Amino acid sequence: MAPTQWPGGSRWRGFLRLWPWLLLTVAFLLVRATKGAGFADAYALLSRPFWPGPAQSEWLDAAADLETKAAVQLLEADNRRLRALLGLQEGGKSQTDRSAAVISRSPRGWWQQLELGKGSIDGIKAGDAVMGPGGLVGQVQSVTPVTSRVKLLTAPGTEVGVWLPRSRSHALLVGMGSSRPQLRFIEKDPNVRPGDLVSTSPASTLLPANLPVGVVQSVDERAVPAPHAVVQLIAAPEAIDWVQVRRR
Amino acid sequence: MARLHRQPLCVASALLVPLLTLATPGWLGVAGVGPAWAVLWLLPWSLVDGPVSGALAGVSLGLVLDGLSIDGLTQVPALLLMGWWWGRLGRRARPIQRSLNLGLLAWIGSVALGLSLILQGVVMQADALGPWWRSWAWQTTWSQALITALLAPMLVSIQLLLWRRRVPA
Repeated sequence: MAPTQWPGGSRWRGFLRLWPWLLLTVAFLLVRATKGAGFADAYALLSRPFWPGPAQSEWLDAAADLETKAAVQLLEADNRRLRALLGLQEGGKSQTDRSAAVISRSPRGWWQQLELGKGSIDGIKAGDAVMGPGGLVGQVQSVTPVTSRVKLLTAPGTEVGVWLPRSRSHALLVGMGSSRPQLRFIEKDPNVRPGDLVSTSPASTLLPANLPVGVVQSVDERAVPAPHAVVQLIAAPEAIDWVQVRRR
Repeated sequence: MARLHRQPLCVASALLVPLLTLATPGWLGVAGVGPAWAVLWLLPWSLVDGPVSGALAGVSLGLVLDGLSIDGLTQVPALLLMGWWWGRLGRRARPIQRSLNLGLLAWIGSVALGLSLILQGVVMQADALGPWWRSWAWQTTWSQALITALLAPMLVSIQLLLWRRRVPA
């Protein structure tokens, strides 16, 4: 082909060929900015016939009774301690739970998250605690009108302040990517042993207080600068079809 | 010159990537880690449609997948580079169609994706997470690369066959 007489015109034609792709790229940037709202909602709509049945929802309710008993014990101890203090926010606020189906899950891999079939229309907000059968599994990170995205406790970088009722000590639960998050202590001698219950911190402002989280599996007391422990979560995200979202 | 991006049906097939990413069952993976669907779609696309289209498709897919995952790491840089590189391979070399070659390219793409995520993790949070995170990250990289490379000969071959019929070189 002979070279064009007007190179500027050739560039302009090149731009004309490119503009649909630029438009598409802007559209993808919008998808990125909205945290994939359109895709997630469309996926929820398409996959609705395949959502898990109500059997596990009932099982979840039964497990919630057991969880309530454990939580009541923790709350009583907590209330006794709080009565001795002044200035802390009131406990025992009425909390409303929402059951939600898990419509997509990736408990392993780079992004450890759940996608729930309920969103802002049902009153779910970013930061709400998400409970599996018996314990906390994660926290809502973003919501669309009909879906919510949950960051699991096992996801790398997740940090939750927790409380060990037996030793009455605080610690930080850190997600490492593996199925068992790590417990980091602030004190040098935390007086913790395998089998200890781990719950959310009674002084937490980000999560509801005294939610069961897991059980200490092993302790490394020689770790520096402070000891740490490995925690087995009570609710394993691999097998959960329904969760309860505890709204703040 | 091939014009795969002018075929609406071929472009629409990219929607399968986010759909499959969301719907991947637990059993379709190695150690619970699923395949890199973006790699399995981007490889044949770039081989057929060239480097510019491959890079743009990589960026687009990366942005969509970033939108569908929790904040932190991004897939855009790795998919951009892979799209460009595979596009150049498709243009400059003889048509790549052997199962072993496709599996190897998908494996390299998946490892490159994992390495880019590890690099981002090291820069952003490795000091806080320490050696546990690094060992988990390497395990995730190898697991994902393995399952991606195993699926590539089947899935990438089919896509290459269909797309090369639509846009003969």
